[in-house]
Formats: sequence, C-alpha cells, structure tokens
Amino acid sequence: MSLFYNLTKEQQDRIIAGQTANDLPTVSDPDKAYADLTRQEYLDYVANYRDFELGLINKATTDTSLIDQAREDRERASALTAGMAERNRSRYGAALTPVQQQQQDRRLQLGNTLGGIQAVSDAKIAQRESNTRLLSDLINIGQGVNRSSQQQLATSAANKVQLDNAYRQAKANSRAQTYSTLGTLGAMAIFAFAF
Amino acid sequence: MGKGPSQSDYEPSEADKANASVAMAEYRFFKQNYDPLLQQMRDKSMNEDFSATLRGRANADTMQALTPSGYRSTQMSDLPSDINTALQGQLQGASAAGKEIQNTMQTNVLGIARKQAADAKTGMAEAARLGTSEVLARAQAKQTEKDALYGAAAQLITSAALQGFDNMQTSGTSYNKAGQAKQGTGTFFTPVNNYGQPIQGFKNRFKYGMG
Repeated sequence: MSLFYNLTKEQQDRIIAGQTANDLPTVSDPDKAYADLTRQEYLDYVANYRDFELGLINKATTDTSLIDQAREDRERASALTAGMAERNRSRYGAALTPVQQQQQDRRLQLGNTLGGIQAVSDAKIAQRESNTRLLSDLINIGQGVNRSSQQQLATSAANKVQLDNAYRQAKANSRAQTYSTLGTLGAMAIFAFAF
Repeated sequence: MGKGPSQSDYEPSEADKANASVAMAEYRFFKQNYDPLLQQMRDKSMNEDFSATLRGRANADTMQALTPSGYRSTQMSDLPSDINTALQGQLQGASAAGKEIQNTMQTNVLGIARKQAADAKTGMAEAARLGTSEVLARAQAKQTEKDALYGAAAQLITSAALQGFDNMQTSGTSYNKAGQAKQGTGTFFTPVNNYGQPIQGFKNRFKYGMG
C-alpha cells in the first residue's frame, strides 16, 4: 500500500494543494535566504534527526538483540517441541516405552543444546555483520555530509573572496581613472599657462 | 570626475532572485509535505517490529515442513530434536532478516534527511554561484563603461584645451593702404590666418583645420 494512504486527510489535502499552488515567495536577498535556509535546515535536523542518528550510532556499536533473541529462542524451542511431541502422542493415543521416552528426551535435549549453540553462533555472526553494515552506512552518510559541508564552505569562502577582490579592483580602477583625469587636466593647465 | 563603484551595482540579478525564489518555494513544499512523511518513516523504523512477521512465517514453515502427520510421527524419537534445531535456525535467520530490514529503513531515513540538507545546500549554492558570476560580470561591465565615459570626457577636454591653446598661438600681419602693419592674434576659440584675420565660418574653419 502506498505511504500516501497512511496520511491523514489534512496531510493529503496539503500535498494536493501544494502541487497546484503557484505563488512564489519573494526573495530579494538570496544570500540572506540561503543563510536562513541553511541555519533552519540544521536546526530541523537537530530537532528531528539528531537523536535518531545518535541512537543508530549507539545501536551499531552496542546492539546484541539478535544474540539475545537466539538465546530466548533456545529456551522456547525446547518447550515448544517437547509439547508438540506430547500432543502428538496424546492425539494418536500412542505410548512410548520408558527407554523410548528417555531416548527422545535425551535427543531433544541434545538437539536443543546443539541447535541452540549453532543458532547463537550464527546470531553472533549475523549481529556482527549487521552492526558493521549499519555502522558503515552511517559512516558513509556522515562522510557524505561532511564532504558536502566542506565543499559548501569552500564555495562560500571562494565567493566571498571573489566579491571582495572585484570590489577592491573596481575601487582601484575608479581611483586610477580619477587620478588619470586629474593628471591630464593638470597637465593641460600647465600647458595653457606656460605659453 | 570619476565616481567610485556603487554598491547597488553588486545587487543580485533578477534571474538570481528568481532562482532563489523557486528554490525557496521548493524547499518550503518539501518541508511541508515530505518532511512529515520522512518523520513518519523514522518513527515507523524505530517502533515497528519487522522481525515478528518473518519469525511467525519461519515458525509456520518449519512446522509445516518437518511435522509429519500420523501415528508414525509419535514413534520418531529424533523428530522433536530435529524440529527444535531447525526451528532455532529458521527463527535466527528470520530475526537477522528483520533486523536488516529495520537497519536499511533507518539508514534510508537518515540518508534522506542528511542528503536532503546537503542537496538543498548544493542547489542554493549553485544558484548563488551563477548569480555571483553574472553580478560580477555586470558590475565589471558597468564600471568599465563608467571608466570609458570619464576617459572620453577627459580626452575631449584635453583636445579642446590643446586646440584652444593652438588657436591662441596663431598670429598674422595685415597691411592697410597706408602700408601700416596690423598684428592680429588668435583667441582661445578663434584662430587667425596669416593676415591676422579671424577664421570664422564652418567652411573656413574646416579648411584651416585640414591645413
């Protein structure tokens, strides 16, 4: 089922209304808008996803739920299969000799122990793999964010330097032109009065 | 006299403002409509037990595959043990698969949340970069134009002054009937010919100018 159907009516209406709205916000100062947006994005991230991200990092380094679950399963499976055998015997009116019963109990105990060991061992491997994969994904995400942030910072710094340089250059050009004009006029005045 | 560069020449271009406006609209739309969905996914990834369904199915599959019906099953002493071992293995596999689904969903949510920030920044940065280049080009062009204008004005003034100075240097002598010499000199605006007579009229001035 689409995620859209999980939304409230109000949320669905908002999406539909948003798709047809054509009023654009006026942005007279993109630089300020960008600064506001960047700041707001970060605050939203902190409010909505920071704890989530920290929880995931913590989970990737400490989670043992698969191993815990395998240990719980070992206890439950033993009782489950013993009960199943008992119900089967009851259903068919079968009876086991004491030796058969002893043998079945011993095999069940052995199977439960060996099966449990294998399941817990597999769970440990799966847990390590799962945690490692989760941590790798988180590191990839973090590295991606880090990389884009640094690129962003470099771009902002370059833009600022470029603008500063251009402004300084323009001022210098203007001053040079002014001095040149004054010089020409002064030279003319000297010519005019010298002869 | 040349004026200094005006800060207003360094204002964002209209295209830049339009880009920023559209980017802002898209950002708001996303924040209003998609961000709540992402937060729902975040909560779902934390609260929903993805393993439960898979474990239930693993349990059913194991029982279905390994539980023979009939009296004979009651006499198989290895059967409960085999089912036990298989069940634990299947449940473990189901738990691991459920965990994988949960982890993938959570990292997807986080990736989108973090990538969203990165994308928004990248898009806006691109718009700002393009705008900056255009603004710079326009400001530089305007400044060059101003410089050229003042340069031309200075050149005109210089030429006029030089010409006026030349005019003032001209002189000539004319003689009346009595043979008396009369010296004539040029003024700033009007030169004189060899006879000391002012050269006036467009045609005469042109002739004089062309030598």
